[in-house]
Amino acid sequence: MNAVEFISKARRGEIDLKRFYRQLFSKLHDINDKYECFITICRDEALKQLKNLPRGRLYGLPVSVKDALCTKGIKTTAGSRILGDYTPPFDSTAVARIKAEGGVIIGKTCMDEFGFGGFSTNCAYKVPKNPHDLERSCGGSSGGAGCITSVLDEPHIAIGESTGGSITSPASFCGVCGFTPTYGRVSRYGLIDYANSLDKIGPMAKTVREIALMLKVISGHDLKDQTSRMEKVPDYARTGSVKGLRIGIPREYFKDVPDDISNTVWKAVKELESMGARVKNVSLKTTKYSLPAYYVTAMCEASTNLARLCGMRYSLEAPLKGNFNEYFSKIRSKGFGQEAKRRIILGTYARMSGYRDKYYLQALKVRTLIIRDFKQAFKTCDLLAAPSMPVIAPRFDEIEKLSPLENYLMDILTVAPNLAGIPMLSVPCGKVNGLPVGLHLMADHLEEQKLINAGVAYHG
Amino acid sequence: MAEPKTIIGLETHVQLNTNTKLFCNCPTTGLDKPNTRVCDVCLGFPGTKPRFNRMVLEKAVAVALALNCKFNKLMPWARKSYFYPDMSKNYQITQYDVPLAYNGYLMLDFEGRKKRIRIRRVHIEEDPARIIHVGGSIMKADYVQVDYNRSGIPLIEVVTEPDLSSPAEARAYLNKLISILEHLGVYDAANFVLRSDGNVNVAGTKRAEVKNISGVKTVEKAMAYEVTRHRNLLRRGAALKQETRHYNPKTGLTHSLRVKETEEEYGYIIDPDLSWIKLSNELISRVRKSLPELPDERAKRFIKDYKLNVEQAGTLINDKSLADFFEECLKKHNPLLIAKWIVTELMKSLNYHSISLRESGVTVKGFLELFSLMDDGIITSRMAKELVKDYVDLKKTPKQLVRAKGLKRISRAEDLLSTIKKVIKNNSSAVRDYKSGQGRALHFLIGQVMKETGGQAEPGKVRELIKKSLK
Repeated sequence: MNAVEFISKARRGEIDLKRFYRQLFSKLHDINDKYECFITICRDEALKQLKNLPRGRLYGLPVSVKDALCTKGIKTTAGSRILGDYTPPFDSTAVARIKAEGGVIIGKTCMDEFGFGGFSTNCAYKVPKNPHDLERSCGGSSGGAGCITSVLDEPHIAIGESTGGSITSPASFCGVCGFTPTYGRVSRYGLIDYANSLDKIGPMAKTVREIALMLKVISGHDLKDQTSRMEKVPDYARTGSVKGLRIGIPREYFKDVPDDISNTVWKAVKELESMGARVKNVSLKTTKYSLPAYYVTAMCEASTNLARLCGMRYSLEAPLKGNFNEYFSKIRSKGFGQEAKRRIILGTYARMSGYRDKYYLQALKVRTLIIRDFKQAFKTCDLLAAPSMPVIAPRFDEIEKLSPLENYLMDILTVAPNLAGIPMLSVPCGKVNGLPVGLHLMADHLEEQKLINAGVAYHG
Repeated sequence: MAEPKTIIGLETHVQLNTNTKLFCNCPTTGLDKPNTRVCDVCLGFPGTKPRFNRMVLEKAVAVALALNCKFNKLMPWARKSYFYPDMSKNYQITQYDVPLAYNGYLMLDFEGRKKRIRIRRVHIEEDPARIIHVGGSIMKADYVQVDYNRSGIPLIEVVTEPDLSSPAEARAYLNKLISILEHLGVYDAANFVLRSDGNVNVAGTKRAEVKNISGVKTVEKAMAYEVTRHRNLLRRGAALKQETRHYNPKTGLTHSLRVKETEEEYGYIIDPDLSWIKLSNELISRVRKSLPELPDERAKRFIKDYKLNVEQAGTLINDKSLADFFEECLKKHNPLLIAKWIVTELMKSLNYHSISLRESGVTVKGFLELFSLMDDGIITSRMAKELVKDYVDLKKTPKQLVRAKGLKRISRAEDLLSTIKKVIKNNSSAVRDYKSGQGRALHFLIGQVMKETGGQAEPGKVRELIKKSLK
């Protein structure tokens, strides 16, 4: 039973939600022992929610939330030790909207600390295991969300968040659907920032129909986030058709991808073509500049965002000794993981006077060119199709051997559309060596409906 | 040897009197109880986002127009990063690469000369929290307490070019700036604070920046101390370093906070949480049309309509409350008389106590009592001068004072003659001088009578009676 069917049944009173949830939570604890996908499971809060549940679009549906989104009264760590005991006094807008439509928050999912990583191995608490092979990564940074979406048989939708590919990567590695909306389509209020100009909240689910349902709920303008889009949110039609859709294949996105993955994706493209889509080749010439532009921008923003975490107003504390600089340093040395420290140092460096022009401002200019490149492509295409990731889920021992740069290279296919702020959808399209491969579909700003149409047609 | 030339530039932070803060809905007033005017946003909780209070824009545009600035039309917000306990996010949201306005000027009347003080830029930013140093000054405190009520109050920063050439001129500039802000109705001295950073050097020395000086007179004192310090260092040939200093108003001294090797490092980036400010020509012209009368125009009007002299008009418009006070009084009395009494007598007392009109408690109604007391012949103008002084000193209105002191004017011959006889008897040499034709002796004798009567005698009558007695 998928989420859509479950909600209609629940609304008709055909499901005993209390019993359903008691069983669900005992199962979730077992799942978590095996896969480590949750930082926090919030059974008591969920059962409390049931007592007065609005009969909305998500009535009774279990929803998991990436631990980067603030949840009122529920511990929110963003995967970091420095927020180890932080309980926000408010709900993020996305969570508030889910609750208002009767969605039930079941837990906070594992992630790389503040989203800094592609394998969820940079988490201060747990490392989620890939349901297809426990020795392998779930991807990241929304790894816990991909994991629980894949492993849970009960109806459920996950809320993930992407800065440079953090929804697409776990969707691809775990074999589920992951949707990254247009930048600003979903309010970021209450999202613990990684890089504010890039962060996007989006749903992950087994089917695209479920994603369309959730997308409607969480999207829309929010007075609390000035960067949220004003445009009205359509009722996303959940019917699938690709008839007449022009799908562009950017050649740069297949260049460094192993043949087995590339062939799997091509097979999916052919299938779309056989369903009535028109396929054509396009070129996105700025692709090769996207990785440095992304990392400079993201690290500059991240290093300022993390400044507020200094042990003064909330969370991690220590006995007061020395001056404020010494105290802040002590807390931050203790509270941040290695990757967070690396990004703070790199990001601070790239915005210092003398380097600011060369790195930070240059990255902003490159970003403008990348956006222009995509806009040009969308003049002749409705969608772009590419592999979601250049690899299948790697083993943890392989990940350990990667240098930071090799790590960052995993994002080569996802950072450009993330920089452009365009919506994108990863759907499972087959397997290589028994592990899932993702088809990545990208559309122009606010063209979420086209992605849903193609996704439903291809995958359901 | 002539003293080396003094060069001063000021960066002045003005709290704008909006109802709510710059990036959240917290009120900007009622700040007395610490940490009661705060929310998730101005405390910088993780996940919160700022939202721009557009009321600030109109007020800031008005200021920039009054300072004759040019405008930028599309502006990002910037994050200015540094770690300090008063910063809820450890970065301040401000304008950096593209300020709201630039290349303006303020016309200063100083020591009888007009001088154009160039304004480098005007920009909007948020105020950090207030720090209370517990157990002493910034240098000596054991620890600090932080009050976030101030965190996020809108500020505009007005930056001059280094055009000020003395501490007194710096003070005059600030007074004029405040008068402009008060005329615009964007600043309210009773509830909001003005703080300046003063950059100072004398020819041949390295610049020192004195941070965060509250008020106006304090700026003059801090700058004066710095000028002296720089001159002394120069005389001793001591090496001067570029540095940041703190002024302690209790001791009147400045202390070095840190030596600057280079410009400070703030790692500015565009704040990606806020959309760019789009400043439309419509908004600028709407604000321009609704600009109230500004101090310089008001001075011109005072000169033209009320025939005041330049100095009187200049003194009045330099303090909005004083100019308002003047115009309020005009409903009853003639402008020249009122202006003379305000500018010479009232100002003398206010300046003596170093207080503003508002602080003095002098009201229009109370001040006008002086004139009705004079008109009714109850007091002399000499008594009136005393009453102005007592009004400010004792905070009692002229009528209350007259009642309390039992003052009255003495003009009847029978009340004055005995005193006059006494004075003539005791000052025989002056009487001789008068009789030999020395006019000054008469003034002396009148003065003696005035003294004997505690200033209550009507001088004209005394003159008449003395002349008659000595005929």
